[in-house]
Amino acid sequence: MISAYYFGAISLILIGLYATLTKRNLLKILVGLSIMETGVNLLLISVGYVSGRTAPILTEGATPQTAVDPIPQALVLTAIVIGVATTALALTVAINLYEKYKTLDIEKIRGLRG
Amino acid sequence: MMQYASLLIALPLFSAFFVPLIKRAGKKLILPYLTLVTLIQTGIAAWAFKEVYTTGKPIIVLAGGFQPPVGINLYIGHFAALFVLIIAVVSFFMAVFSMKAIDVEPIDKYAMLFLLLMLGATGMIATGDIFNLFVFMEITAISAYALTAYNKTREASEAAMKYIILGGIGSSFFLVGVALLYGSLGTLNLAQIAMIASKMNPAVAQAALALLVFGLAVEAELFPLNAWAPDAYQASPHPVTVMFSAFVVKAGLYAMVRIVYLFKDTPAFMGILNLILILGTLTVVIGELSALRQTNVKRMLAYSSIAQIGLIAVGFGVATPHAVDATVFHMLNHAVVKALMFLAVGYVGVTVGSPHMENFKGLGKRMPLTAFAITVGAISVVGIPLFNIFWSKFKLLLAALQVGKTGIVALILGASLVEAVYYFRLIHTMWFEEGKGEKVEEELALGVIMLLLVALIIVIGVYPEPVWNLVQKAAADLYNVANYIKNVPLLGVSL
Repeated sequence: MISAYYFGAISLILIGLYATLTKRNLLKILVGLSIMETGVNLLLISVGYVSGRTAPILTEGATPQTAVDPIPQALVLTAIVIGVATTALALTVAINLYEKYKTLDIEKIRGLRG
Repeated sequence: MMQYASLLIALPLFSAFFVPLIKRAGKKLILPYLTLVTLIQTGIAAWAFKEVYTTGKPIIVLAGGFQPPVGINLYIGHFAALFVLIIAVVSFFMAVFSMKAIDVEPIDKYAMLFLLLMLGATGMIATGDIFNLFVFMEITAISAYALTAYNKTREASEAAMKYIILGGIGSSFFLVGVALLYGSLGTLNLAQIAMIASKMNPAVAQAALALLVFGLAVEAELFPLNAWAPDAYQASPHPVTVMFSAFVVKAGLYAMVRIVYLFKDTPAFMGILNLILILGTLTVVIGELSALRQTNVKRMLAYSSIAQIGLIAVGFGVATPHAVDATVFHMLNHAVVKALMFLAVGYVGVTVGSPHMENFKGLGKRMPLTAFAITVGAISVVGIPLFNIFWSKFKLLLAALQVGKTGIVALILGASLVEAVYYFRLIHTMWFEEGKGEKVEEELALGVIMLLLVALIIVIGVYPEPVWNLVQKAAADLYNVANYIKNVPLLGVSL
């Protein structure tokens, strides 16, 4: 059962990596990066998942025996925030690039060489 | 008393938040404020350095008073104390240089990102928790992306984009590595990982370490993830280039080596060392050969810096105590020399427009002090005796010979030869070719900084012993993992 989660997460990572490495449109590359990040986050969550347990939130009746591992969830929260920051910055730079080069095709954005 | 070391992290963070208030008081105050903050940071770092080297004990800061592995801890051992000091001093110099070199608005954002870059690199070196390391790596990376794009030119945006894409791939790799480690060991604390590393399945450990090495290779500028580096070095503001070369890349290398050495006694270690050796060798070869055909001096230095980083990675890949000593020594020397050279070349760029080879013709007559600084740096990088890098290259050679790796000896000598070709070409251009332009009045503060660094290069070159002793202690901190585990007060663990 757990291996299905791993399989899904790793396929997302690979899809994202494929898009990042092969696409020519800058926005598609950034979408690829986001997909990859999502895959990594899912992988982290599934590492801490225990079948049949609830969310690790301190409510009535919740004990360490009935909740899943909270650490990966804390990590993923942090990773999501970092991912949002990176994506926002990347999109800003993409806007800048579009203004300068009038294109989003990375084959044509080649001011720096050697 | 020990908890004051957390100011190393807290001071730049809070100062970065106060920048908008300073802007209210007046735009002119921002850069002096930046200089003041970095000066205070230097003071704290010097105190921590003195504390660690006189007592011989690392400073352990427990975040929130929770004992690791429940809480996050900072570990400022001999290595971290030395490099945190280097980071603070270089940042201080660059804050002074920024007053001259930065004229693009918004200056308040620049000051904020500058402080965050310093904070990130300090944190990467000081932390004792692998996820905390990731967070600091991302702080460093995001502020580095933004600073690369700061000049808002075509090249700057393009370089920043390359950096962001590679950095994004790298951080995903790193997190997958962390997931593998956490999934098999159930801890994120570096000391505890080292303690139970041998329980991990060797194949999984190898995969996790390879992913972590690739993830950190973006920051550490190892081939093939260093494609961003020459572009970013060329396009970013001059003080930022100095910071990249002097300590951001060192922080990445340190993190990589720290994590890999935690697995020193496991079967996965040898395979990863070979990976680092191969990556390092490729980085040296490609960096040196690319440097040969550059016409932009800043880009040439960038490639030269990448090649030196490759040498450092090779040294860590050899991984005998002698090699690690020599490598840490090389890291220190490289930080000093490249800080000097990028500072001088950046100053030329600020004064005459662009750091293109054309503009260096006859520089010896127009800006004698700057040209002298570049010359000393160049001679030192090539590895001429009586200059500091000679000693670290020489000791690295001896260490490689000791374990019979003649290939590495050939690599170091070949790299020095190629360096000699392009650096002597630069020296020749500066002193013996006729250039046009009037003599420039050189800034006093920058002249003093350059002379200080030149003096440091020559003093280390003539009397390497005191620094060598310091560096040996720092290297032992990296290499002696058993000591590292013992120094961190892990909860519920008795050794």
